[in-house]
Amino acid sequence: MSESKGVTVRLAEQRILQLAKVTGLGVAVGVVGAVLANLFVAGIGWLNDVLLISPRSRMMQTDSRWIVAATLVVPALGGLIVGLLHRGIAEGRAHGPAEVIAAVQTRRGRLPARPAVLSTLSSLVSLGSGASVGQYGPLVYLGGSVGSIGARLLRTDITVDNIAIACGVAAAISTVFNAPIAGILFAHELILRHFALRAFAPVAVASIAGYVVANAVLPQPPLFQIDPTPVLHLWEYGLFMVLGVASALVAVVYMQSIFAMGRFAGRLPLPRVLKPAVAGAVLGLTALWVPEILGIGSETLRFAFIEGAFGRGELVLVLVLKLLATAWCLGMGFSGGVFSPALVIGSLFGALFGTLIGTVTGATSDLVVYAVCGMVAVTAPVIGAPLTAVIIIFELTGNYELTIAALASVALANLVASLLVGRSFFDRQLRQRGLDLSGGRSKALLVSRTIDSLTRDSFVSVAADASVAQARSAMAKAEASEAYLVDASDRYQGKVTLQALVEQEADRPAQAFKAVDDFVMDAHTTLWDAMQLLRQFVGESVPVVGRDHTLEGTVYESNLIRAYLDIMSEMRREEYAND
Amino acid sequence: MIRGIWLAALASLAMAETPTRPTLSIATWGGAYEAVQREVLFDPFTAQTGIAIETEAYTGGLDVLDDSPPDLVDMSMVETLAACDAGDLKTLDHSLLMDGADGTPARQDFAPGALQPCSVAHTVYATVIAYDSRAFPGRRPSRVADLFNLDDFPGPRALQASPYANLEWALMSYGVPRRELYDLLSTPRGLRLAFERLDRLDGQVRWWRAGQTPVEWLESGQVVMASGYNGRFFSARLDGDSPIEILWDGQLQERQTWVIPKGATHPDAALDFIRFATTTERMAAIANRIAYGPTRLSASSRIGRHPEAGFDMRPHIPTHPYNSTTAIRKDVLWYARTYQRVLQRFEAWREE
Repeated sequence: MSESKGVTVRLAEQRILQLAKVTGLGVAVGVVGAVLANLFVAGIGWLNDVLLISPRSRMMQTDSRWIVAATLVVPALGGLIVGLLHRGIAEGRAHGPAEVIAAVQTRRGRLPARPAVLSTLSSLVSLGSGASVGQYGPLVYLGGSVGSIGARLLRTDITVDNIAIACGVAAAISTVFNAPIAGILFAHELILRHFALRAFAPVAVASIAGYVVANAVLPQPPLFQIDPTPVLHLWEYGLFMVLGVASALVAVVYMQSIFAMGRFAGRLPLPRVLKPAVAGAVLGLTALWVPEILGIGSETLRFAFIEGAFGRGELVLVLVLKLLATAWCLGMGFSGGVFSPALVIGSLFGALFGTLIGTVTGATSDLVVYAVCGMVAVTAPVIGAPLTAVIIIFELTGNYELTIAALASVALANLVASLLVGRSFFDRQLRQRGLDLSGGRSKALLVSRTIDSLTRDSFVSVAADASVAQARSAMAKAEASEAYLVDASDRYQGKVTLQALVEQEADRPAQAFKAVDDFVMDAHTTLWDAMQLLRQFVGESVPVVGRDHTLEGTVYESNLIRAYLDIMSEMRREEYAND
Repeated sequence: MIRGIWLAALASLAMAETPTRPTLSIATWGGAYEAVQREVLFDPFTAQTGIAIETEAYTGGLDVLDDSPPDLVDMSMVETLAACDAGDLKTLDHSLLMDGADGTPARQDFAPGALQPCSVAHTVYATVIAYDSRAFPGRRPSRVADLFNLDDFPGPRALQASPYANLEWALMSYGVPRRELYDLLSTPRGLRLAFERLDRLDGQVRWWRAGQTPVEWLESGQVVMASGYNGRFFSARLDGDSPIEILWDGQLQERQTWVIPKGATHPDAALDFIRFATTTERMAAIANRIAYGPTRLSASSRIGRHPEAGFDMRPHIPTHPYNSTTAIRKDVLWYARTYQRVLQRFEAWREE
């Protein structure tokens, strides 16, 4: 009695200790993530100024020859550095949010330090030298990596590692947007994809830590400021939904262009290391004509919110070129995100829609409202996080009307885009790399594990030409009910069961009574496939073969089911447990 | 005590070196502003050193540095930076500055960026929008956008004949956040938008150059809204029942500096003057008489009541939190490098 009470107390102590540890980790990851995120953003700004990419630095340069030279040389040179940096990464490309999602969804990957450092550096160079890519993807990845590395320093288990990754992501978003709620939501919507109190607490703490750091320690305004703007007519909410669907199509074109450009780049007969440099050179050349396509495009984003800043033709031109430039840069191997360009493209599209509607219907709300709706409805499908996108607008503006307008525009956008591309750009990326998240997390978990670790060598094998008697006695000796037939060079030839042989004549060849529904697996068979196999399978074990069909071992059905149950219960514990 | 000895030594030094007692020439801005400078800086300096001070009228620009320049110019930070880059100013040794009255070393006492190689910033002033309260008995202008709103606030405007503030306000009236103004003004699109907004005032603008002019025009009813220096508007109100009201939204803050031109005749006496004029006590005395903020922290904490009018000066200083929530910091580095080009665009637009 007293002993069990002592155990309960010790358990409670452990839980409190664990909670303190995870929350402490949340704060630490939040602060470090926020500081690094700030440094990253400041670094981009500094590079853009020094390298004559930002309009302000170009304006301040009195000699226009320098501007032309910088436009032509800087993106190309930046591309070269990016190409060289990527040689240090196993996959030969930068890591990003897709890696973060995969790590958490499969409960497998921790985010390693080397690609984290190299990818962050390469995205800093890409963004600093004017490539048309986004900055939030690298920030999300940077935050996630800080979390994962922090968790590893504390030698925590994989669940805490996943939570720490989410903490880092939340802190990064919270810091740069000055939007702590959006940070928390983003970590849940995109990264964790489930809602557990045990994760919520540290993620919220990290998000707030990021907010505090952004406001108190390194005071800086949010990356994009939108003034509250009223919606004039209620019927406009209908228009926002229409705009949302149209924007979803723009998002689809945008994502497909990036993938198509990636395939095109893959076919180019150029060494991989040089591709970003070539992309930079072409980008620079085009930027002499349309400088708007250089860099993150904050100025273009702002102009999209101003009535009369662009003519209609100009809107279309800049929109298309920005889309192509981004697809070109990302496809050719520059390192960076897809979010910021989507903001620019979306707001330009919203502005275009708003101008056209304004001409047709007369008085509508300010262009700002339409630009916001387009912006949200293009970005939400791309990042696969509709609620986050809406909450960012709420936190940036503090304006309820504008938030509801944004909500109306994303209401259908994500659904439409997911039918055509997938849940998000990142999910599609992962699917192309062989990780399909569309079947939910349980499938992702099962797909990410192989039966290799379940393979045993405790099987009965008999020669393919053995008699029924020989096979029977071999099984009896091993107290097994199944035996595998192998030829002289150990190749698997089929399976016989004790039941099938029991009534047969002793000297007939065992081969004649091979099981009909014969399945084999190999070391790379995923748990998911194995479980699918079990549906049609009768028996107690499945042979595992190697190359040339050589018999390597066996997997017991009971072990498979146990592994399946373990994974499911682990996942449920992570997703529903409160401690 | 030590300060007294210092000044006495300084005075005797000045007299010993220059038996003929030079006359220091200073280019400054006239009107109420110069009157305060005369009271707080020029006359006391003469009394202490025996060096007479004569002023010459200045309304900004770098032309003042050509030919035989004055010994000192009260120059805006933008022009200071440009002139220093061009090598037209003497470099200053900041160790000559007095420590703060509370003992803080000068380098820490001055606000960040106030001490530049060629200059010592002495006051923070703002270009603000002011209006004639008689012209708007009902709804009053309350934000920058109202400057361009001839429908609700009709009547002629007085604007400075310079890009300063005009371009910033034009863009701000579109809803562009303060910190993005110069980024957008760096693009042809941003400049075009700004000029398009200014076009709205076509035929309703009178251009001023001297700081006292907009005050006079507002008081005489020649214009209903005007841009101008906040201290001038403040002083106008101080003198009597002036109808001028200041609108702090979008106030454009900049610093005024003391500089010594390369060709100054009495550079040593000019240095003595800078040291004298930038002490904690002198800065606070200026701020107590005209509503410009001091650049020394020790002086900011000494701002109190106006010696004659007796009211608290703090709410009238541009940097007061009530006034500065939507203040624009003039991007002096940007202007220092772009002013001539932007001015050309501006002049070309004015002639359209």
